[in-house]
Amino acid sequence: MAQQSAAEWFRERDDPAIAHTKPEALDDITVLDLSYNSYAGAFCTSLLAEFGAEVIKIEPPGGDFMRTCTPYGIQHQGVGLNYLTEGRNKFHVTLDLQKEEARKILEKMVAQADVLVETFTPGVMDGWGIGYEQLKEINPRLIFASITPFGQFGPKSKSKMSDYDNIIQARSGMHYATGEILPEGKTLDEMPWAIPTKSGPWIGATPAGAFMATGIMAALYWRDASGEGQALDCATSEAYASFDDWAYQWYQETGRVAERFGNLDIAGWLYCFAPTKDGAVFLGALRLEQWQAFVDMLGKWDEWGAAEWKEMAPFMAEDQQIKWADLCFAETRKYTNRELVDMSVEYSKKGRLAPIAPVVAPIGNPMDTLEDPNWNDRGLFTPVDDPVYGPVVLAQAQYKLTETPPRTKWVCRPVGYDNGFVYLKYLSYGPEKLKKLKEAGVI
Amino acid sequence: MAEVTWRNYLENKHSRPAPLKGIKVLEACTIILGPAGPSFLAKLGAEVVKCEFPPLGDTSRNLIPFGDYFREQGTGFVHANQNKYWMGLDLHKPEAQEIYRQLAAQADIVEENMRPGVLEKWNVGYRQLKEINPGLIYLAKNGFGQWGQYAEENRPSNDGASQAFAGFAWLSSQPGQRPLKSRLYICDNFGALLGEVAVMAALRHRRRTGKGQYIELSQTESIIRSMSWVWPYQQMTGKMAMPAGNRDLCVSPADTFRCRDDRFVAIGAALPDDFKGLCSAMGRPELAEDPKFKNHLDRLRDENTLELLDIISKWVRGKTPEEIERLAEKHGFAATRVQSIKDIVDDRHWRERGTMAYVDDPMLGPFYEFDFPVLMSKTPPKVRWSVRAIGFDNEYVLTHKLGKNKEQIRKLYERGAIGRWADMISRRPPEDWDGETGVIMSRGAANPPGKGK
Repeated sequence: MAQQSAAEWFRERDDPAIAHTKPEALDDITVLDLSYNSYAGAFCTSLLAEFGAEVIKIEPPGGDFMRTCTPYGIQHQGVGLNYLTEGRNKFHVTLDLQKEEARKILEKMVAQADVLVETFTPGVMDGWGIGYEQLKEINPRLIFASITPFGQFGPKSKSKMSDYDNIIQARSGMHYATGEILPEGKTLDEMPWAIPTKSGPWIGATPAGAFMATGIMAALYWRDASGEGQALDCATSEAYASFDDWAYQWYQETGRVAERFGNLDIAGWLYCFAPTKDGAVFLGALRLEQWQAFVDMLGKWDEWGAAEWKEMAPFMAEDQQIKWADLCFAETRKYTNRELVDMSVEYSKKGRLAPIAPVVAPIGNPMDTLEDPNWNDRGLFTPVDDPVYGPVVLAQAQYKLTETPPRTKWVCRPVGYDNGFVYLKYLSYGPEKLKKLKEAGVI
Repeated sequence: MAEVTWRNYLENKHSRPAPLKGIKVLEACTIILGPAGPSFLAKLGAEVVKCEFPPLGDTSRNLIPFGDYFREQGTGFVHANQNKYWMGLDLHKPEAQEIYRQLAAQADIVEENMRPGVLEKWNVGYRQLKEINPGLIYLAKNGFGQWGQYAEENRPSNDGASQAFAGFAWLSSQPGQRPLKSRLYICDNFGALLGEVAVMAALRHRRRTGKGQYIELSQTESIIRSMSWVWPYQQMTGKMAMPAGNRDLCVSPADTFRCRDDRFVAIGAALPDDFKGLCSAMGRPELAEDPKFKNHLDRLRDENTLELLDIISKWVRGKTPEEIERLAEKHGFAATRVQSIKDIVDDRHWRERGTMAYVDDPMLGPFYEFDFPVLMSKTPPKVRWSVRAIGFDNEYVLTHKLGKNKEQIRKLYERGAIGRWADMISRRPPEDWDGETGVIMSRGAANPPGKGK
């Protein structure tokens, strides 16, 4: 143990570069993915496919609408970039579930599957005769996972509205309370950007997918013991909203509603983005000693009386946060991002309170991230050399495991590309039968 | 039929088993990234023992919005810590390390978010624990993982740093304006959730093979994974992905609009029927046939989307969010007012589904809490209780799990290996606590974990 550093020891065992030499945790599981225009659904089955599940993505003959959801309409060999990244390790087949014959085919597939993921409006699958109550008769071990805007029951579940990421974000309470403050006396016409602002690319939809993947594996774990499948129900905005750490109790306790607070943090000090000479940095010092270390790092230990501070609570009040932010930002503007990062590293070695130091992180752009040697070294952006789509860069290896690491084996497939293989494997349908199904518009 | 499956779900929740019954989790976690993960498992029925350093414990006990506590606890501490048992364990002390090892020997899963190498220095790192428990699943979480340049530099991290570092905040801004930090601790929570995806896969592998394993989770890598189209877009075009405010660059139309009353409504109408519905609601059915807008891929072109969004924003400006919501249901497109936390906590829909769950906590009293947001028809997740003071369950864990007697426990206190809360708000139990309610093992004993020290 002593000869080798811990970093080397772990890397030797979990480097994504050797993932292909290891077993897969879900390689005995078959998943039918019926999700349509749902990033949550696609992300969910990607997480399972990365662990080796055989995911069969079932699209209508025209293809999933999500194939067209792509920035500025840009496609890569006929497929949009979101579908491209979440088509990973899946087999892509077509089946027109509007047709009776197609539903019979689905039933045969269900009899051999472990998991079904769907995103139709509640009642649609039932109406087709392939809802959970019907399919469990065919396969009582089936885990039937539904991801929808409002869930399978409750007063709003009758809504027929489609699901979109921006709608999820707006329903979740996060969009409302993120964004710049509109200063008193200013109008939205003067500052049209000081409005509720959504975050990230499709971060509203992604949590529902990850929660459902967790729920599916919990259901599999229970099925391994009991032999029984079950139905799972996730509402997308509930999943995203459930990440809230403090606003819901704050409202219940005080009646106060979390409003926009710019780049400060209602619940945390010191915890903000701060302007610098050449951009901005994140500053984090939630513990008293860290906050004192930050003040010391700025050379304000005596002037601001940091030695006298006993607890963090007094700094949390709204007016105090604004006052101290102004004082701190006047200082941070004197330095570049690089200088502030270096100052914090230096402080952690030699400062009065070392090794305690504030967290200082430069605010980077996504091209910096893509080109960062650290992430490339860690296998995040290793291009996948896909037989159809060529070398594609997508984010992968988001967690590293020593025994059953995730991996991306291929990227995506065109519409109906795997009909031949999948229908032969599960139903022994050869070219003759497939031709007939195609003529009938079933596939 | 869905009604049959989900009939009386809430009423029957507690007459059904938990999916992870019997799974034991030991956590040495702080802030949100660490504790949120075990909390997910605890709602799925796992038994989680949380270890904190006495007397101050988890730093997120400091999270108090504008200085407001929640029932005298850290408001932002409550959410990531349901259904746990609470140990105050000073891992600097050899006796505490021994307790931790004994708990790890019984555990299925250990989770921690210390800096790399810290627990190993205290003789309770993965490489030491796997010797006594080869089936152990071990999840280590932090900003940058266990190896690579940033890990070697031992850089600190947290949610805001991760939002900044990944380019996530940079993309989440209004065009031409400064990067915006999400109100949500998104990199903490999403990272914690992805960690449990990996843990669940590892649990399945262990059931099949008996083998445990080590998992490393970086919160920045997690958020990078969520950023979908950004990476192939930059690879293929050589251009940097650009912020677009509330407009979704991949869906057209999808944006947030200002209403007559200066409130906001979000609209999404990209699917063919949705787009037709929106055009008819606007009294402009001809737009759906306009060659610039008819097909989604054409509509997504920058100039076409901007033209369309301009038409929509002028229409919305004369209406209220509620009017738009009604028109959306009637004509068939997606719209919602931009909801505040009040809209969510007070919403009957969430309460009737139990996703906003009623908790009757012995120490904090009743309140509504988010449950695990995947409802399971046969094994429902459940929020049962909330946070406790540091070391609150020392006696229960040591007696029930490790069979220690009173004298042994007394010695552990004496040596400072175990301890309890500091006598200060956010660390001690609420003032009106009776000194007994919620105590599992040592109620009325000679050394009760009463108020203060």
